[in-house]
Formats: sequence, structure tokens, C-alpha cells
Amino acid sequence: MTDQQTTSGRQVEPAEDAFRDELAFLAAYDSGRKPPGWLLTPRAAVTFVMGSDALTLPDKVAGLPARMTISPKFVGERALVERAVITLAGERGLLLVGEPGTAKSMLSELLAAAVSGTSQLVVQGTAGTTEDQLRYGWNYALLLAEGPSARALVPSPVLTAMRTGGVVRVEEVTRCLPEVQDALVSILSDRRIAVPELSGTDDATVHAAPGFTVIATANLRDRGVSEMSAALKRRFNFEAVGPIGDLAAETALVRRQATAALDRVAAPFAIDDIVLEALVTAFRDLRTGTSVEGWAVERPTTVMSTAEAVSVATSLGLANAYFTSDRDPLSLLPGHLLGVVRKDDPTDAARLLAYWDGAVRRRAESGTHTWRRLWDLRDVLDQ
Amino acid sequence: MVLSESDGAGGSAGGALDALVGHRAPYLIGVRHHSPALAAVVPALLEVAAPEVVLVELPEEMGEWLPHLAEPGLSAPVALSGAGRDGGGLAFYPFADFSPELAAIRWAAEAGVEVRTCDLPLSRHGEGYRARQAEATPLADALRRKVTGRDHDDLWDRLVEAAAPGQTPEAIRRAALYVGWALRTDGSVDPFDLRREAWMRQVIAETGGRACAAVIGSYHAAALLGGDPVEQEPASQREVITSLVPYTFAMLDERSGYPAGIRDPEWQQAVLAAAGDPGGVEAAAAAVIVRVCVRVRELGHPAGPGEAREALRLSVDLARLRGLPAPGRSEVVEAIQTVLTHADPLGRGRVVAKAAGDVLVGKRTGGLAPGTPRSGLAPSVEALLAELRLPGPDSRDTVELRLDPARSDRDARREITLNRLALLGVPYAESTSTAGVGGTDAITTRWTATWTPATAATLPVAGLWGATLPLAAAGRLRARRADRDGHTAGEVVADLADAARCGLDDLVSDILADAATVLPASASLTDLLAALDLLDRLRAGHLPGGNHLDDDLPRVLETAAVAQLDGLAGSESPADARSLVELGQRHDAHGTGLRLAAALRRLTEDGAPLIAGAATASRVLLGLLPPTDLGDRAASLVDNATTTSGRDTLRGFLTGCLAAAEPLLESPEALTPLLDRVAALADQDFLDRLPTLRAAFATVGPTPRQRITAVVEQHTGARIDTGHDPEVMARWVAAEQAALAVLAAHGLRHGQFSAPPQEDDREPAAHQGITPVTRWRLVLGSRDDVGGETRRYAAALDELYGMDRGEGADRHGVGGGRGTPFPNTRQWAEELGELFGARVREEVLAAAVEGGRVDAALQIDPDAVRPSVDLLRTVLALSGGLPEATVARLRPLVARLVRELTAQLAVRLRPALTGISLPVPSRRPGGGLDLRRTVRANLATARRGDDGRLIVLPDRPVFRGKARRTSDWRLVLVVDVSGSMEASTVWSALTAAVFAGVPALSTHFLAFSTEVIDLTDHVDDPLALLLEVSVGGGTDIAGALRHAKTLVTVPERTLVVVVSDFEEGGPIGPLLAQVKDLVATGVSVLGCASLDDTGAARYSTAVAAGLVAAGMPIAALSPLELATWVGDKVRA
Repeated sequence: MTDQQTTSGRQVEPAEDAFRDELAFLAAYDSGRKPPGWLLTPRAAVTFVMGSDALTLPDKVAGLPARMTISPKFVGERALVERAVITLAGERGLLLVGEPGTAKSMLSELLAAAVSGTSQLVVQGTAGTTEDQLRYGWNYALLLAEGPSARALVPSPVLTAMRTGGVVRVEEVTRCLPEVQDALVSILSDRRIAVPELSGTDDATVHAAPGFTVIATANLRDRGVSEMSAALKRRFNFEAVGPIGDLAAETALVRRQATAALDRVAAPFAIDDIVLEALVTAFRDLRTGTSVEGWAVERPTTVMSTAEAVSVATSLGLANAYFTSDRDPLSLLPGHLLGVVRKDDPTDAARLLAYWDGAVRRRAESGTHTWRRLWDLRDVLDQ
Repeated sequence: MVLSESDGAGGSAGGALDALVGHRAPYLIGVRHHSPALAAVVPALLEVAAPEVVLVELPEEMGEWLPHLAEPGLSAPVALSGAGRDGGGLAFYPFADFSPELAAIRWAAEAGVEVRTCDLPLSRHGEGYRARQAEATPLADALRRKVTGRDHDDLWDRLVEAAAPGQTPEAIRRAALYVGWALRTDGSVDPFDLRREAWMRQVIAETGGRACAAVIGSYHAAALLGGDPVEQEPASQREVITSLVPYTFAMLDERSGYPAGIRDPEWQQAVLAAAGDPGGVEAAAAAVIVRVCVRVRELGHPAGPGEAREALRLSVDLARLRGLPAPGRSEVVEAIQTVLTHADPLGRGRVVAKAAGDVLVGKRTGGLAPGTPRSGLAPSVEALLAELRLPGPDSRDTVELRLDPARSDRDARREITLNRLALLGVPYAESTSTAGVGGTDAITTRWTATWTPATAATLPVAGLWGATLPLAAAGRLRARRADRDGHTAGEVVADLADAARCGLDDLVSDILADAATVLPASASLTDLLAALDLLDRLRAGHLPGGNHLDDDLPRVLETAAVAQLDGLAGSESPADARSLVELGQRHDAHGTGLRLAAALRRLTEDGAPLIAGAATASRVLLGLLPPTDLGDRAASLVDNATTTSGRDTLRGFLTGCLAAAEPLLESPEALTPLLDRVAALADQDFLDRLPTLRAAFATVGPTPRQRITAVVEQHTGARIDTGHDPEVMARWVAAEQAALAVLAAHGLRHGQFSAPPQEDDREPAAHQGITPVTRWRLVLGSRDDVGGETRRYAAALDELYGMDRGEGADRHGVGGGRGTPFPNTRQWAEELGELFGARVREEVLAAAVEGGRVDAALQIDPDAVRPSVDLLRTVLALSGGLPEATVARLRPLVARLVRELTAQLAVRLRPALTGISLPVPSRRPGGGLDLRRTVRANLATARRGDDGRLIVLPDRPVFRGKARRTSDWRLVLVVDVSGSMEASTVWSALTAAVFAGVPALSTHFLAFSTEVIDLTDHVDDPLALLLEVSVGGGTDIAGALRHAKTLVTVPERTLVVVVSDFEEGGPIGPLLAQVKDLVATGVSVLGCASLDDTGAARYSTAVAAGLVAAGMPIAALSPLELATWVGDKVRA
């Protein structure tokens, strides 16, 4: 997650555009051996994701600065990124799993940009995703008019990636129906797609060019959606992406993103650090099941993701900006937490009460002003 | 690796490091106790250095064992240990082939060089290390960031072990000294370390200038260059016993809980065998990965050569990316995790972890060389017994002991010793239980102890667990815990009790940590209260080993117990009501939490009557509700008790309230509205409710009932309990009986005056003016003079409720009508009908059946009875233990009940199960294009192209949806019959029968406790099915699901419905794994916490929460809701 802002008219800039300079610099910086079809060496790809101190180019290259600091983009373990890069270097499928809001999609985007220079080949998995989004579809008008031909064939992002030897991303793969997911099995093992309609022509089989591989992401918490088949699982290496480990890092991230969200509506973000820290602390306690102090906390089934914390912080900020401060943001916090927690399971509200009984009350007893205030606000929770 | 570029401090590090490396007196080999990299090069290094003396970092007392360690006949692993005579462990040094010290000792023995110990003697250890705050470690952190970017990564492993293959011995020595130097530079040095190092310097000085090599911890190396003298503690008089015992790899593994271990010994051994050759290490990695895959396959999960190949590639490439010559332990483990576990910590993750553990830890066991002196557990126990004056090898007499651990220090030590021996399974002493006064915990204990040949034979075997009694006991308990595949709540509580009894403080804190995670996740309310009770005893000092208690755990457990409350909503057991009240009382001590208040309010509103009653009472006790509200609610229920269900509600509610009878009576105003109401009822209305009220009050023990009586007396202003001599009363009753007989003889028998007992709605014998006092006598079954006609009521009810239970109960029945026993049940049943009417008669008889009276069941008229699941359930519960002949007589009743109930249910369920639709052509892209339909739908767009061909523009393409098979759905009902004949069981059988009638569905019925019985053959005949079910036994849901899995052929069209209270008897891990497995194959799984019409269930919320997370939704369903779910799934 980054602070780099661009002035173009897009809400979100894809990674390869946002970090074009860094990618070009790293390509010039490390000229070691690259896996076929790769833009960067594996080591440079890890550096791109994790960031580094100032690096100096060995030889001057026109249009590039001599020294550059690579910004850290992913807050997490270096070893995980190393494994992910090595997995891709072996042209094997990479599956990033984790709770919602753990920056899986961002990581997959960064990896795709670092490996093949584009993160645009992407399939969004939904219950409505069909096989032609993973294989190929037809331009039906042309198909009826001319019969099957290479011209009438509409390639999927997967097919495009196979032709170009790039990385294709499949987001939320577990949301696809099982029979649709299984289309990936043959692609990942045979590395080719047969187009029976074009049999007899050169286009009857599309072979994967070197470098082709798949990065898929999946949510651990998506219950009731399609599980992946064992056959598909065996064709992926799995990496579990965890939530951010450090309170300060997470608070900073929440502040940054909430500020950015308020910037968009040209409102200042005027929430105290104390409030934000209380918010992030509560989220972390409920997410991990252990409070900062080491007390046990009963976890709600709802996901307490960083993204969710950002949205609460944004709401607090917006409330503060639009309803000029007749109520302090802290007093709104319990209500917002209840709103977040209640989403899935009504018994989660009871778990929030238990959190108030335990951690909040003990902190209030130890005399912290913020927590004493939150304890006083307990009636909001119990309607 | 090149150290100078490792970090910014390289410059200053270089100088210090050169000094260490170049030092010659002594020649420094900085090691870690286990290090294959160094163990492999130590002989070569020593060969070059050619010392005359080799110093090893062992305390002076261990010196005597050095020759035995060097014996060629010794096979590692072995362990040296030093312990006090009293059994306190002081030091522990396990050795494996990959221990550099052992390599040095072996080299010296072969080369004929002297070996000496150089560490501080155990007798001078004093306080040892102090517990220290974690300090900032900037240098180590910087290094770590550089190497892997993981916190808590093992620097030694990264910089020495992983980098070693292909390096020269000298480079490895340098890297090892560097890591030690870096760690030392980072923080302050413990004073104890300073004292140890001063001692080492002194030993070096004593070598008197002979060429000397020191094999010491690399952390200490820098201190041997010189330092200030340190004042040593005087040698203590404490006798130290050292021993050399065989050891195992399982115990050597760091995670076993034994001290001074290392991760994955078998891997370390393989690295040692590779002897620094990168190709050899890579081959070892390949071998390990392949064996892990084989083991995973043996455990029943797929893991083929393809995955093994990928894991090896990943580990080798990772090593290359990280600049290592060959994959280290970390790369191998990371690769196995990434490729094999599928990020599934429950199912596959556990299997892979187990397989990796089996392969990487290994099963190697060491042995001592022949001729090594005897040491270890047996001699130390014999000495200990002698010291405690307990029977030892010289006396074979049985000794009776009465120990008072609280008063006498020696008794406390004896008690602990005997408990430890018992834990080790050494046949020596047996505890004969004692109970304290009034059933409280006993303070003194009794034992019978004898030294037998069996004792002598078992001790050396137990010695494998440790060289002294406390170590062995701790080891035994640790092994017991490690052998389990996850702990159940009951096991944790038992372990805790054992560890506390044996005074194993270290383990107590471990187990407490476990308890904090296991108990909230899986314990039932009863387990939690038991654990809390145990903690109270520990805190009170009734058990040793309670030194590690903090305030957190009880709070955590209480919180968990509160979380369990939601699962009580459907309970009908008074024991649960009592638990609920007890929990409330516990919380009263430190204030009621928001959640408890909310949970109690919910239970009051939605719970089954019994639980609602207990919850209401608890709320009154906790001051959350004014006392009169309780009375008002009870009074209103009295008003509503005009129907059978109304009376059931009243009975449940009052029973629940009365679970809190004793504390509740502190505020008698709670009862006032109820008293008023009962007094104000019309006679007939009172009599209708009398059996219900009596049943509720019969659950209270006599002592609290006396108190209730007192309250009633106070309220009505009349005395109730005059304590008449039962014999006098019996005579009165006999006189009345005689009078009745005379009346009968003259054709004037009382019964003939009232209408004959035929119709349901007939008027029972009318009685006027039963006074409030008499009413309460009847309700409470008071031992008082109940006059005239009312005595018949009392007598009729005493037949059922006359025997007392609970506090203060004696063996004699207590009751107002005592003395008129009915000659047989038929007469009693007739009397009931006459007094209370047919409907109430049926209720009382049903209550009698519930109480175990078969004869009462035979009095129920099959044709007249109102079919209810409750009645069916009680009759069925009874029929389990009956002779075949009696069952045959009950059969018409059961048959009619089942028939009627099934018919009623079928009417309700059928709509939900019919109307399975066929797929329609779809406009959604997918499947194939339906050309004919498309052309037909788009004819309007047809036009001629420029070349004259006809072109159809498919504006609205039509696709062929995948045809769905509508038959062959399989429904597996997995029904828990472990507890009792639950209403859910009966409903399941009835529902299954209805499902069996649906053609598109094949229905299976599995009844399980610890065994699984497939009753699918009987599924269309609920009567046979229900009579086949035998109730009782433990709960093994995981086993039942394993069986259910064998019934799955097409996972997508299989529904597995588990009906259970989810109080799993085994560990919860395998259960979750089974559920995960089922869900992963695509089976639709549903858990029913109850399957009945109330919608309130009694179940373990903790386990349920785990199952929900594993993918099994859990709800309390009515059969109709279940049918709707099944219908929706099939139609989908």
C-alpha cells in the first residue's frame, strides 16, 4: 500500500503505471539471470515488493536516475514474498489465501507487474463467472455469420496470458462455481487450451508461452461458497497472507487511507491519533483473540480486517467533517464497532459485549482516559 | 558467506572478530550445544590446533562422566543431568552425534588428549539466571532483517548452519564466533554469565600454559580473551547427583518441552551425515521431502511425486535466492508448507505437520556403553524414600499412612512423592480416598505403600522419562500430553489436577496456558465449572503447585462460561439450571458483566421454561430484575396453566426458579405474588395445577423446602409444619380408610357420589374451600395434618413425589398423605382420574413414566391418549431396559404414537419437499449455444448482407443450461443418541420416515454414540427404528462423520445432517478436520443443535462455533425448516 499519488483521472492506478520508474530502474539495476519471459530477476522482484534503501545503478542508463530508493509496498514477511517469487519462477500456480483485507489482491498485482510488466490480465471470480472467462468465448454475431474462425474467437485473459507468456490473476477463485474452477486444472497441468471448434486449423490448440503462470487469491472466510477441488489445489503452491503484525504500522496505514478517502471529497481528516489507536487496537484484539496485554478475547466470526478499520475511520472522519463537531468521534466508536461486528452472526454482538466486559473494562480500571470513556459508553452496545 | 558485508558495523566487528579467531590461549571454538555444521568440522579444527588440553563447557561435577561419554560403545542421543538430592533439577545436557562437545570429547579420547570441564560447578550456581525483561537488540534485528525479514528467526541457523555446506572448517568457526559476538554485543550480560565466564578464565589459567582449546558457547568466547575477576558464590552444601542416561530424538526435539533441545533432530543428523557437502545436503532435503510425501499418503491424503518435485525445487531455488549453498532446515520446512499444506491449518495442515514431525524428528533412541555405572531414577528414588522414611528396598512391609500435607512439611513432600510415583505408573502406593466433613474437600489423605519387586522392576523403565523423580514425573506427563492429537477439556482438567498434585510447577503453568485456549474453545459449562472449582482449590492452597496462578484464567473461564449460556436455551435438565445459577453467583462477586446480563435476558425471553426460570431467578439474585417481577411471572404462568403445555411451562419455570431456591429465599418478596395467586385460585383451578406445582417443588431438597414453608407460614400467618408423628398420621389415615370401607360395605362408597370417570372434560369431584394453608401443604407435601378429603389428593401425589431427594433427605418418605399406599398402579391411576380428570391423570402418569415407572405406562390408554413427542420419548426411554414381554405390551401405545405423529408431520413437511423443477434454457452465457432457439429468438434481425447471404444478428443468444439431475440425492441423517432419548432423536426418526417417502431422495439414518449404527434399513418404519436405537455411551461425532463419509458417492448431491448437542467426547481437532474434509469434497453439511418444534436448543456453543468456522452451519431447526432446507438444496 503506497502513498504514491498520480494526477491522472483514474481512481486507482495499476501497479505497473504507478511504479513505472521503479520497475524500469530495477530492470536496469539487476541484470542477472532472469527466468524466461520475466521483466526482472527474482531478487529484483522481491526488492520491488519489499522496498529497499537507496540503490545505485552500476552503469548510467539514459532516462533513469542514478540512485533510487524503492518504496516498500507490502507490509509483511520477506520470506513469504521470496517464496511467492520462487513459486512463480518455477511457472507454478500461486494461490494467496488469507482473511479479507490482508492485501492479497495488492500483492498479486505487484507480483504480476514485477514479473510480466502488466497486472491487467485479471479474471474476477464471482458466482456468475463462466468457463469462457477462463478459456475463450465467441463473438456470436461473427460466429453465426462466418462460422468458427480465429477472428470470431474472443480470448479470455487466461488465453491472452498463455499466448504472451505473462501472469494472469484470478481474483477470489473460490467464488467461482466448482465446475468453472476446474477449467483451470487442465490449463495448469497441460499448459494448453484446445479449441475443438477450430480443429484442423493452426489455431486448434493454444500453447502456453514460457513465463505463463497463474496467481489466484482466495478468502479463508468465504463460507458456503465453492471449495476448491483437491485436483486444483494440488496444482497450486499456497501462501497464507496474514494481517499486519504491528500496531503502529496498522494505525499509520488506516490513517493514510482514511485521509486519502477524505481527500477525494476535499474534506480534512481530523480524527485524533488517540481515537484511531483505540479503533485499531479494538480491531486487532477482536481479530487475533488476544488483547495487546495478552488477555484472551473471544473472536467474533466477522472478519475484523484492516480495510474494515479504514472504513470505520473514514466514517468517523466524514461524520466529523459534515456534522461539525457536536459529538466527539470517540462517542461514535462503539456504535460503529457494533455495526461492523453484527454483520454476519447475531451472536457476535454478544462477543462484543464480552470484549467490553473484559479488555475495555480492565483498561478503564487501569485508568486510561480513552478506555474509561469507552467503558462509560457501554450502554450504546446493549439495546 | 562474507561477513564483512553483512552489516554497517562490519568495520568494528572485523577487528573484534579477528581477535577472537586469532586467539591461541585458548584456541576458541564457539559452538551451540547442537550444531551439525560445527560437529562435522570440530575434529578437523582440533587436529589443526593440536591442543594438549580440550576444555568443554560442562560443570565440574560432570567430569566423572567424560570417559563414559567417549566410549565407542555409547550410541547417542544420551543425556547428562545434575540434580539435587531432593529432586530439583539443576542442569541438563542432552548429547547427539551433532553436538560439537561430544565430537570434541570423542576426538580427544581417540587422540589421547586430556579433556576437562570448564563451566561453573553446579554447587556454586546460586540463584542462577534472573528473569529478565526483553531488551532491544538492534544488531541482531538488523541482521535478521537482512537475512529473512522474519521476527524471531534463529540467527545461528541462518548464519552458521545454513551457510556452512561447502565452507572450510575455519570459515565455519569464524561465522560461529561472529554470531556469538553479535548477540553478546547487543545487550547487557547476565551477572550469572559473568560468574560462569570468570570461572572458565580461572580454569584456563590453571592449565598452566599448556596448549589448550576451548569448545564453549560462542556467546562466551569474547569473555575468554580476558576480563575482570568476579566474586564467586561460595559452594553450597547441597549434594548434587549427576547421571548419564539414554535419551531419544523425540525428547531431544525442542517442542517436546525438555530443556536444551533442538528442532528436528533427524534433519540435523542427516546434515551431519552430509559432512558439509552441498550436494549431500540437497540429497538429504530430497530424501526428507519424499519421505514426508510418503507419510502424508500413508495418512490418507494425496501427495504425489509431482508435489515432492515441486517442494524440492522450491527449497533449492529459495536457498539460491537467499544466497545459500544448499537448502537449510528453514527452506525445507517452508517448501513443505507452501506446497503440501494448502493453507488449511485444520485438515491437511495437521496431517502434513504430523508427517513432517514423524520424518524430521525421528525415533532414534540412544544407549550407554556396557560397563557404565548405574545412575538415574532408581537410585535417586531409593535415596528419596529412605530420606522420607517411606518403605524402601530393605522393608517389604505394607505401611498405612495418614498424611496431613497442610500441617507437616514432610507429609507434604511424601504426598508429592507418592503422587509422582503413581503418575509414573510405578506400583508402590495407593491412595485410599477420604472425604472431609460434610462432603467438603479432605485436608488429610490416606495411602497404603509397599515396596514390591514390581516397584524395583518398573523404576528403571520409568527412568527413561527423566533421571530424578520430579523430572521423570514431568516427562511422563509431558509425553502423555504430546501423544494426544489435541486435548479435550476433560483431559486438560485431569492433567492440571495431576500436575498440581505432583507439585510440577513448570507444567502447571504450561497446562494453565493450554487451559486458557482449550477450555474456552471446547469445554461445556459443567467442565468449566469443574475447572473453576479446581482453580479455587489451587488458589486456596489445598493442592501444591498453585504458585503460578494469576487472576486472568478464572476470568477467562468465567467469560467462556458466559459464552456457553446461549447453548443452554433448550435445556430441560435441572442440573443445567443449577449450573446457570452457580455461574451467576460466581459473577456476583466481581460485578455482573454486560454480556451475562444480555445472555440472561435472552434466556428469560427465548429459553425453554426451565432455563427461563433459572435465568429469571439469576437476574433477581444479581439485582438485574426487581424480585416481584419473578413472582409476577410465575403467578401469570399459574394463570395460564389451563392446558397441558401451559402446565408444562409452569412446571419447567418453577423448577428452574427453584434451582436458585436457597439464595432466592433471602428475598422472600420474590415469592409473594406466587403465594397470593395460589391462594386466590378457585378450588377446581388449584386442583388442576396441583400436580404441576407439586412436581416443581419436589425437585427441591427438604431443607430448602422447610425454608419455603417458613416463608409461606409467615405470609399466610398459619403454621404448616407441626411435625406430626408420621405414625400418628398413619393411624389417622388407617381410621379413615376403615371408615371408607364401612361406607363401601353399605353401598355408600364415596366414589359413587361423583360422576363416573369416563370423559376427558368431566367434572372431577368438587371440593369447596381448600384454605391457602392446606393448599401449600399439598404443594409442598408437608408433614402436616391435611384434613379430610384433601388427604386423598395428598396421597395420590405422594405416590409419585413422596420420596425426597436432595439436601436433608432421609430414607422415609415425607408427605401429607403418607400412609395410604395404593395396592397397585391401576387403582392409583383410577384414583387420579377420579380426583383430577382424565387429562391431568395422563400428565401425572407420564411424569411417573419419566420417573421410571413402567407400570404407569401400561395404564395409559393407547386409543385415548393425545399423541405427543414427549410422551413417546419417555415411553421409549423406558422400554430400553425392559423385558421383551413388557415391551410387547407397550408396543400398541408406541405404535399409535408414532403413527399419529408421523402422519401429522408428513402433512406439514410434504409441501416443502415437492415441486422439484427442471432446468430451463438460459440467457446466461455458459454451456453451449442453443442454436435452434437462438435463431428462432432472433429471426426478427435477419437481413440480407451485401453478398446476398442471409445474416442473423443474434441479439438475444440462448444457451443450454447444464442439465441437472434431480434424482439420486442422498440425505444422511447422523443422529446423536449418546445422552438420553432426546426429543431430537424422536423427531429425527419421524422426519426420516417422511423423507424416506420422497422418491428423489435416498435417506440414510446413522445413530451414533461412541459406536455408529446404520439404521437405514428401518428408515421407512420409524417404530422399528426407534425401538432399535439404544441410548447411552459417549459422543464421537468425528467417528460418525467418518462413517457418513463412506456413504458419499456424489458429493455435490449429498446432504449430511448432524443432529447432536455437539458435546464431543474426543479432542475437537479431528472433528473439525472431518467436517473440513466433508465440506471440501463438496458435501452440504448441516448441524442441528436440536430438531424439534421449540427452536431452542441445548448444545456446546464453543464446539459449535468451531464447527461453523469449519463450514458446518449450525442451527436449532424444526422438522419443517429442515425439510425446507433439504428442498431448497435439491431444487437449487
